[in-house]
Amino acid sequence: MPVAFGACKLPSTRALPTHAFTLLVLAAWEIASWHTPVFLLPGPAAVAKSLWALISTPAGLIQTGASLFHVGAALLAAFLAGTLVALIPYYVKGLRLAIDGRLTPFLNAFPGIGWTLLAILWLGLGLGTVIFAVGIILVPFMIINIREGVRTVDADLIEMALSFGANRWRQFVLIVLPSLLPFAFSAIRISFGVAWKVTLTAELFGGTRGLGYTMNVARQELETPQIYAVIVLIVTIVYLGNRLLFDPLQRRLQQGSRSPV
Amino acid sequence: MLSVARKAFTERALAEGLLVFALTVWWWSSRHLPASVLPPPEAVASRLFQILTTPELNWHVLVTGGRVLASVALALAAGFLLALLAHTVPWLSGIVMDRILVWLNGMPSVGWAILAVIWFKVSDLTVIFVQVMILLPFSLINFAEGLKNLDREVIEMAESFARRRAGVLRKVVIPMLMPYGVAALRVSYGVCWKIALISELFGARSGLGYLMLQAQAVGDVTSVLATCLTIVLLFALGERLLIYPITRRVRRDLAAKEP
Repeated sequence: MPVAFGACKLPSTRALPTHAFTLLVLAAWEIASWHTPVFLLPGPAAVAKSLWALISTPAGLIQTGASLFHVGAALLAAFLAGTLVALIPYYVKGLRLAIDGRLTPFLNAFPGIGWTLLAILWLGLGLGTVIFAVGIILVPFMIINIREGVRTVDADLIEMALSFGANRWRQFVLIVLPSLLPFAFSAIRISFGVAWKVTLTAELFGGTRGLGYTMNVARQELETPQIYAVIVLIVTIVYLGNRLLFDPLQRRLQQGSRSPV
Repeated sequence: MLSVARKAFTERALAEGLLVFALTVWWWSSRHLPASVLPPPEAVASRLFQILTTPELNWHVLVTGGRVLASVALALAAGFLLALLAHTVPWLSGIVMDRILVWLNGMPSVGWAILAVIWFKVSDLTVIFVQVMILLPFSLINFAEGLKNLDREVIEMAESFARRRAGVLRKVVIPMLMPYGVAALRVSYGVCWKIALISELFGARSGLGYLMLQAQAVGDVTSVLATCLTIVLLFALGERLLIYPITRRVRRDLAAKEP
């Protein structure tokens, strides 16, 4: 995949204008902030200070850590639930339309903020609400991706396994799970970005902790630098997560699948 | 043949059965729970009917629907222009794909919603701005992908025959981009309904999001559920009446052009 490798380093003809653009935006931001009230547009320095507090002071780290925990727990729960649902039509063929034509489209079309507000009314403010809301928003992403994987499970391989006398469990572990792996990976990759964004919403309305909660407090007290800092932090986490975690993993996965079986 | 038909019938029966089963469970549990936790389905259904039929409520539905359509159209146009810019001006491609796109992609939707209210106060344009910014990365990615996969040889041939570049764009490039445009439209349309409520929570005094926040503030679960189901319903309706016909039409046109 030369394209994927090439994207990591910009060719030098493009690198200069790109970095110049970054500096230009920062400079324009700084100058614009001199002429606008701070609650409207705080300068880069004020935002950077607020951002530093979020990742270095104990009070800030508690909020950032809480969000990290919410994202992790919701991802795990949604992954398990999504995999289970995606496997149902494989084992019970008759339920295919029920899952693909009814349950998944419904979950997919149901607005995320609706789940959040319902969770608040059902469970009150707190940990349960945030994890439930984020988890159920992620479930359709998981189902859709893993369903694709389930469709690619090789019927010939299963037949061969049957003729060798492999039982259902061994078929599942040796054939079904490995063919789901690339799809499970992309399910988690897509959900990771979505999870950070919707966790912010869920915490903002239904949390008692986390970056979304911090942002809501900042919004009410017109602490605008704090709002900007949370946004910058989320964008950075999503970007770094993709670059440092998912890109290398994907490369390894692709290399692994290319080697002869 | 008979067994195929029977299989399809079983699937159909199980699918509708699931729906009936879910409604029954809902109905049964609502009898044992207070209406402030889980209202009965018939109450939500009548509320849904009210939202769709009473003039002062279905006005909110129309407002939200109008904003969704406007935002999708604007996001498609902006995404196409940005992708075209990155494609035709080499030194801009790093700026668009490695800076603007990365930023738009990671930006949380609530972030846009809150910032837009701080910047522009409460108005229709604030809501549309938020929606367009959220949709922009999706349409940009699709159009950029389309431009990347353009058939170089066909374009070179067209350029050597054509008198004007605008003609090449209209007659050759745009038709080749149509499948990607349709993908951008479908994704944006789906996402826009989902985020319509969020963008209306802070920046609007009308629309379904405003309605839902009002209901949530007084603990009216019936209305919250009915609003969510209205969204699901409108999404499905628009997909049937608008998105599917457009998709089919584009596919047919493309098939007709094949030699």
